[in-house]
Amino acid sequence: MEILSDVTFNIQLRKNTFCNYQLKVDQKIMTLSFPQILQLRHKINNLTSEENLEHIIQNENYVLLFIADKKYLLFLEIPKLLDLKEELSYCFQSF
Amino acid sequence: MKTAIRKQMTISTEVMDLLNDQISLEMHASASYLAMASWCDQRELLNSKAFFYKQSEEERGHAMKIFEFVNDAGGAAISPAIPVVNNDFEGLREIYEASLDQEIEVTQSIYKCFKKARSVDDFASEVFLQWFVSEQVEEEDTVRGILDTFDLMGDMPLKMIDERLPKE
Repeated sequence: MEILSDVTFNIQLRKNTFCNYQLKVDQKIMTLSFPQILQLRHKINNLTSEENLEHIIQNENYVLLFIADKKYLLFLEIPKLLDLKEELSYCFQSF
Repeated sequence: MKTAIRKQMTISTEVMDLLNDQISLEMHASASYLAMASWCDQRELLNSKAFFYKQSEEERGHAMKIFEFVNDAGGAAISPAIPVVNNDFEGLREIYEASLDQEIEVTQSIYKCFKKARSVDDFASEVFLQWFVSEQVEEEDTVRGILDTFDLMGDMPLKMIDERLPKE
Protein backbone atom coordinates (compact mmCIF):
# COMPACT_ATOMS: atom_id res chain seq x y z
CA MET A 1 0.00 0.00 0.00
CA GLU A 2 1.49 3.30 -1.13
CA ILE A 3 1.39 6.02 1.49
CA LEU A 4 0.47 9.39 0.03
CA SER A 5 1.16 11.27 3.20
CA ASP A 6 2.96 10.29 6.34
CA VAL A 7 2.83 13.51 8.32
CA THR A 8 -0.59 13.17 9.90
CA PHE A 9 -1.31 11.59 13.21
CA ASN A 10 -5.03 11.01 13.51
CA ILE A 11 -5.95 11.56 9.92
CA GLN A 12 -4.35 9.76 7.04
CA LEU A 13 -5.11 9.28 3.38
CA ARG A 14 -3.57 6.31 1.60
CA LYS A 15 -3.82 4.83 -1.83
CA ASN A 16 -5.04 1.22 -2.02
CA THR A 17 -5.33 0.63 -5.74
CA PHE A 18 -5.50 2.82 -8.85
CA CYS A 19 -8.88 4.31 -8.03
CA ASN A 20 -9.30 3.27 -4.45
CA TYR A 21 -8.19 5.27 -1.45
CA GLN A 22 -8.36 4.75 2.25
CA LEU A 23 -9.10 7.58 4.65
CA LYS A 24 -8.44 7.03 8.31
CA VAL A 25 -9.93 9.46 10.81
CA ASP A 26 -9.02 8.36 14.34
CA GLN A 27 -10.12 4.71 14.44
CA LYS A 28 -12.56 4.97 11.58
CA ILE A 29 -11.34 3.59 8.27
CA MET A 30 -13.20 4.53 5.10
CA THR A 31 -12.77 3.54 1.48
CA LEU A 32 -13.20 6.20 -1.16
CA SER A 33 -12.91 6.39 -4.94
CA PHE A 34 -11.06 9.31 -6.55
CA PRO A 35 -14.20 11.29 -7.46
CA GLN A 36 -15.34 10.86 -3.86
CA ILE A 37 -12.05 12.32 -2.68
CA LEU A 38 -12.51 15.31 -4.99
CA GLN A 39 -16.01 15.73 -3.60
CA LEU A 40 -14.68 15.56 -0.04
CA ARG A 41 -12.02 18.15 -0.87
CA HIS A 42 -14.71 20.47 -2.23
CA LYS A 43 -16.87 20.05 0.86
CA ILE A 44 -13.99 20.59 3.26
CA ASN A 45 -12.73 23.67 1.41
CA ASN A 46 -16.22 25.05 1.50
CA LEU A 47 -16.69 24.35 5.22
CA THR A 48 -13.34 25.88 6.12
CA SER A 49 -13.90 29.19 4.37
CA GLU A 50 -13.55 32.03 6.86
CA GLU A 51 -17.28 32.78 6.81
CA ASN A 52 -18.40 29.17 7.28
CA LEU A 53 -15.86 28.46 10.00
CA GLU A 54 -17.11 31.45 11.95
CA HIS A 55 -20.67 30.22 11.54
CA ILE A 56 -19.74 26.74 12.82
CA ILE A 57 -17.83 28.15 15.79
CA GLN A 58 -20.72 30.40 16.78
CA ASN A 59 -23.23 27.55 16.57
CA GLU A 60 -22.66 23.83 17.12
CA ASN A 61 -18.87 23.99 17.03
CA TYR A 62 -18.75 20.76 15.04
CA VAL A 63 -19.88 19.42 11.68
CA LEU A 64 -21.53 16.19 10.65
CA LEU A 65 -20.36 15.30 7.22
CA PHE A 66 -21.56 12.63 4.83
CA ILE A 67 -18.75 11.36 2.64
CA ALA A 68 -18.20 8.77 -0.09
CA ASP A 69 -21.67 9.19 -1.59
CA LYS A 70 -23.26 9.17 1.88
CA LYS A 71 -21.71 5.85 2.78
CA TYR A 72 -20.05 7.23 5.92
CA LEU A 73 -20.93 9.90 8.40
CA LEU A 74 -18.11 11.85 10.04
CA PHE A 75 -18.25 13.86 13.22
CA LEU A 76 -15.62 16.59 13.00
CA GLU A 77 -14.74 19.20 15.54
CA ILE A 78 -12.94 22.31 14.35
CA PRO A 79 -9.34 21.09 14.91
CA LYS A 80 -10.10 17.83 13.15
CA LEU A 81 -11.80 19.64 10.30
CA LEU A 82 -8.68 21.75 9.81
CA ASP A 83 -6.44 18.68 10.03
CA LEU A 84 -8.47 16.98 7.32
CA LYS A 85 -8.22 20.06 5.13
CA GLU A 86 -4.46 20.06 5.59
CA GLU A 87 -4.15 16.38 4.82
CA LEU A 88 -6.17 16.72 1.63
CA SER A 89 -4.33 19.82 0.47
CA TYR A 90 -1.02 18.05 1.12
CA CYS A 91 -2.09 15.14 -1.08
CA PHE A 92 -3.08 17.46 -3.90
CA GLN A 93 -0.09 19.72 -3.45
CA SER A 94 2.34 18.96 -6.24
CA PHE A 95 0.97 19.15 -9.74
CA MET B 1 0.92 14.99 -7.90
CA LYS B 2 3.19 12.54 -6.56
CA THR B 3 2.26 9.93 -9.16
CA ALA B 4 -0.92 8.63 -7.51
CA ILE B 5 -3.02 11.79 -7.79
CA ARG B 6 -1.38 12.82 -11.07
CA LYS B 7 -2.49 9.54 -12.64
CA GLN B 8 -6.08 10.49 -11.89
CA MET B 9 -6.12 14.05 -13.16
CA THR B 10 -4.24 16.26 -15.61
CA ILE B 11 -5.67 19.51 -14.29
CA SER B 12 -4.11 21.36 -11.37
CA THR B 13 -6.47 21.56 -8.39
CA GLU B 14 -5.84 25.30 -8.05
CA VAL B 15 -6.87 25.85 -11.68
CA MET B 16 -9.82 23.51 -11.19
CA ASP B 17 -11.09 25.62 -8.27
CA LEU B 18 -10.80 28.81 -10.33
CA LEU B 19 -12.53 27.17 -13.30
CA ASN B 20 -15.39 26.15 -11.02
CA ASP B 21 -15.68 29.79 -9.94
CA GLN B 22 -15.65 30.69 -13.63
CA ILE B 23 -18.51 28.26 -14.32
CA SER B 24 -20.49 29.99 -11.60
CA LEU B 25 -19.74 33.43 -13.07
CA GLU B 26 -20.72 32.37 -16.60
CA MET B 27 -23.98 30.84 -15.36
CA HIS B 28 -24.73 33.98 -13.41
CA ALA B 29 -24.04 36.04 -16.56
CA SER B 30 -26.41 33.74 -18.47
CA ALA B 31 -29.18 34.27 -15.89
CA SER B 32 -28.51 37.98 -15.87
CA TYR B 33 -28.82 38.18 -19.68
CA LEU B 34 -32.10 36.30 -19.40
CA ALA B 35 -33.43 39.02 -17.07
CA MET B 36 -32.32 41.66 -19.59
CA ALA B 37 -33.97 39.73 -22.42
CA SER B 38 -37.20 39.56 -20.47
CA TRP B 39 -37.18 43.33 -19.85
CA CYS B 40 -36.73 43.95 -23.59
CA ASP B 41 -39.26 41.29 -24.58
CA GLN B 42 -41.96 42.88 -22.42
CA ARG B 43 -41.33 46.23 -24.15
CA GLU B 44 -41.30 44.80 -27.67
CA LEU B 45 -37.68 45.77 -28.25
CA LEU B 46 -37.26 42.97 -30.76
CA ASN B 47 -33.59 43.25 -31.69
CA SER B 48 -32.44 43.73 -28.12
CA LYS B 49 -34.51 40.84 -26.83
CA ALA B 50 -33.06 38.56 -29.55
CA PHE B 51 -29.56 39.80 -28.68
CA PHE B 52 -29.92 39.08 -24.96
CA TYR B 53 -31.60 35.69 -25.44
CA LYS B 54 -28.67 34.78 -27.66
CA GLN B 55 -26.15 36.13 -25.14
CA SER B 56 -27.80 34.11 -22.40
CA GLU B 57 -27.41 30.92 -24.42
CA GLU B 58 -23.84 31.79 -25.31
CA GLU B 59 -22.82 32.32 -21.69
CA ARG B 60 -24.38 29.00 -20.76
CA GLY B 61 -22.45 27.46 -23.63
CA HIS B 62 -19.22 28.88 -22.20
CA ALA B 63 -20.04 27.48 -18.77
CA MET B 64 -20.75 24.06 -20.28
CA LYS B 65 -17.52 24.11 -22.23
CA ILE B 66 -15.55 24.70 -19.02
CA PHE B 67 -17.70 22.21 -17.12
CA GLU B 68 -16.92 19.41 -19.56
CA PHE B 69 -13.24 20.35 -19.73
CA VAL B 70 -12.85 20.11 -15.95
CA ASN B 71 -14.44 16.65 -15.89
CA ASP B 72 -12.52 15.48 -18.97
CA ALA B 73 -9.28 16.52 -17.28
CA GLY B 74 -10.08 14.27 -14.32
CA GLY B 75 -11.34 17.02 -12.05
CA ALA B 76 -14.73 17.59 -10.48
CA ALA B 77 -16.97 20.22 -12.04
CA ILE B 78 -19.44 21.70 -9.58
CA SER B 79 -22.93 22.72 -10.65
CA PRO B 80 -23.16 26.27 -9.28
CA ALA B 81 -25.77 28.02 -7.19
CA ILE B 82 -26.91 31.18 -8.95
CA PRO B 83 -26.94 34.19 -6.62
CA VAL B 84 -29.48 36.98 -6.85
CA VAL B 85 -30.08 38.27 -10.39
CA ASN B 86 -31.11 41.87 -10.97
CA ASN B 87 -34.43 42.12 -12.81
CA ASP B 88 -34.87 45.83 -12.22
CA PHE B 89 -33.59 48.21 -14.91
CA GLU B 90 -34.01 51.90 -15.69
CA GLY B 91 -33.67 51.78 -19.45
CA LEU B 92 -32.16 50.10 -22.48
CA ARG B 93 -28.89 51.98 -22.42
CA GLU B 94 -28.42 51.11 -18.75
CA ILE B 95 -28.96 47.45 -19.65
CA TYR B 96 -26.23 47.53 -22.29
CA GLU B 97 -23.90 49.33 -19.87
CA ALA B 98 -24.55 46.63 -17.26
CA SER B 99 -23.90 44.07 -19.97
CA LEU B 100 -20.48 45.61 -20.73
CA ASP B 101 -19.59 45.68 -17.02
CA GLN B 102 -20.53 42.02 -16.83
CA GLU B 103 -18.40 41.11 -19.84
CA ILE B 104 -15.43 42.97 -18.35
CA GLU B 105 -15.86 41.06 -15.10
CA VAL B 106 -15.90 37.76 -17.02
CA THR B 107 -12.78 38.81 -18.96
CA GLN B 108 -10.90 39.67 -15.77
CA SER B 109 -11.87 36.33 -14.29
CA ILE B 110 -10.67 34.48 -17.41
CA TYR B 111 -7.33 36.31 -17.11
CA LYS B 112 -7.10 35.17 -13.49
CA CYS B 113 -7.59 31.53 -14.53
CA PHE B 114 -5.11 31.94 -17.37
CA LYS B 115 -2.46 33.45 -15.09
CA LYS B 116 -2.90 30.66 -12.55
CA ALA B 117 -2.67 27.96 -15.24
CA ARG B 118 0.55 29.55 -16.46
CA SER B 119 2.03 29.92 -12.98
CA VAL B 120 1.47 26.25 -12.07
CA ASP B 121 2.57 24.92 -15.48
CA ASP B 122 -0.88 23.57 -16.28
CA PHE B 123 -0.34 23.80 -20.04
CA ALA B 124 -3.53 21.96 -21.05
CA SER B 125 -5.69 24.44 -19.17
CA GLU B 126 -3.70 27.36 -20.53
CA VAL B 127 -4.28 26.23 -24.13
CA PHE B 128 -7.95 25.57 -23.36
CA LEU B 129 -8.36 29.08 -21.95
CA GLN B 130 -6.82 30.77 -24.99
CA TRP B 131 -10.12 30.44 -26.86
CA PHE B 132 -11.90 32.27 -24.05
CA VAL B 133 -9.39 35.13 -24.12
CA SER B 134 -10.13 35.76 -27.83
CA GLU B 135 -13.85 35.24 -27.32
CA GLN B 136 -13.98 37.89 -24.61
CA VAL B 137 -12.32 40.48 -26.88
CA GLU B 138 -15.14 39.84 -29.37
CA GLU B 139 -17.87 39.98 -26.72
CA GLU B 140 -16.67 43.26 -25.27
CA ASP B 141 -16.29 44.78 -28.74
CA THR B 142 -19.90 43.91 -29.67
CA VAL B 143 -21.34 45.66 -26.62
CA ARG B 144 -19.06 48.68 -27.05
CA GLY B 145 -20.27 48.96 -30.64
CA ILE B 146 -23.88 49.01 -29.43
CA LEU B 147 -23.13 51.71 -26.87
CA ASP B 148 -21.54 53.76 -29.69
CA THR B 149 -24.85 53.47 -31.59
CA PHE B 150 -26.66 54.89 -28.56
CA ASP B 151 -24.26 57.87 -28.55
CA LEU B 152 -24.69 58.44 -32.27
CA MET B 153 -28.48 58.32 -32.13
CA GLY B 154 -28.76 60.71 -29.20
CA ASP B 155 -32.36 61.26 -28.11
CA MET B 156 -34.09 59.17 -30.77
CA PRO B 157 -37.05 57.05 -29.57
CA LEU B 158 -36.07 53.76 -27.98
CA LYS B 159 -37.85 51.69 -30.62
CA MET B 160 -35.88 53.39 -33.42
CA ILE B 161 -32.59 52.81 -31.65
CA ASP B 162 -33.51 49.17 -31.08
CA GLU B 163 -34.20 48.69 -34.79
CA ARG B 164 -30.61 49.66 -35.54
CA LEU B 165 -29.04 47.31 -33.02
CA PRO B 166 -27.66 43.88 -33.91
CA LYS B 167 -29.67 40.78 -33.00
CA GLU B 168 -26.58 38.79 -32.15
